[in-house]
Amino acid sequence: MSAVEIYFDDVDLGDEVGPVERVVTDDQVIEFTQVWGREEGPTRFTSPEKARSEGLPEAIVPGAMNIAIMSQLITGWSPTVRLKKLDVVFRSPVLHNRPLTLKGMITDKDIVDDDPTIECDITMENEEGTPHVIGKATVSLPVRE
Amino acid sequence: MTTEDSEIKFDRSLLGVENDIGEYPVTKEMIVKFASSTGEQNPIYYDDEAGSESEYGSIIAPPTFCNMFVSGVTRPDIKLEFGDVSLFAGQAIESVSPVRPGDTLSAKTKLKDVYAKTGRSGRMVFQVWETSFANQDGDTVALVQESFVKRNRRPR
Repeated sequence: MSAVEIYFDDVDLGDEVGPVERVVTDDQVIEFTQVWGREEGPTRFTSPEKARSEGLPEAIVPGAMNIAIMSQLITGWSPTVRLKKLDVVFRSPVLHNRPLTLKGMITDKDIVDDDPTIECDITMENEEGTPHVIGKATVSLPVRE
Repeated sequence: MTTEDSEIKFDRSLLGVENDIGEYPVTKEMIVKFASSTGEQNPIYYDDEAGSESEYGSIIAPPTFCNMFVSGVTRPDIKLEFGDVSLFAGQAIESVSPVRPGDTLSAKTKLKDVYAKTGRSGRMVFQVWETSFANQDGDTVALVQESFVKRNRRPR
């Protein structure tokens, strides 16, 4: 994660966040489903055969895991960031072991209930630039003293 | 509510009614594995020393942690009289206060809204469920909103 401290005063509409490159491996998905604790036996998340039987091309990354990774685009941007809300829409399944690009753009900046707040459109795309997950992050940033 | 919305047939008595969906004890191991499996780089989610030096005084869970508990939750059937194809439309998570190791979270879900939209593929009806998570002190830690859409199968 970045160690650069970013403040509300530093950012403006149109500023970009990222890009960040990520790959979600088979082992990471297995570890995640173990924490999750709800999946027993082969599932669409851990078994390519099971996934194909459900009409998917391969095993996919759980939605809750995709959201966690999307949130890291924001929380890894600066140690000063506090993620208030993340609102996402799933466009297409995310497959294991594929390069993913996460990026964002600031679309709003305002003081909301005395809290310096920015809004940021965010996406997770594949190598072809096709979005898997799109959304909006609402983020609190401190003001410089 | 629009005229179109008032025409949607479903069990309206479920609107706003909270349903307990369970308790979730949170362990340090869960938080650390959640952070590890998602490639989290911020040490306040897995390193005791970084956690104790942070403003929180201990490691805390990443902001979307509660989201994993809502997957697979069984909700009441709203008896919607529309559509034959059901799809997951989206999700929003609001992180209200930190989740710490040792917390026991209780979750309640309620039907927040049912509304219709008409798009290129025809009429769609959305149902929105909100799940709130509170810790053992009764403090809300997270709100998760999920939207599901129902529409009619397209003619071949």
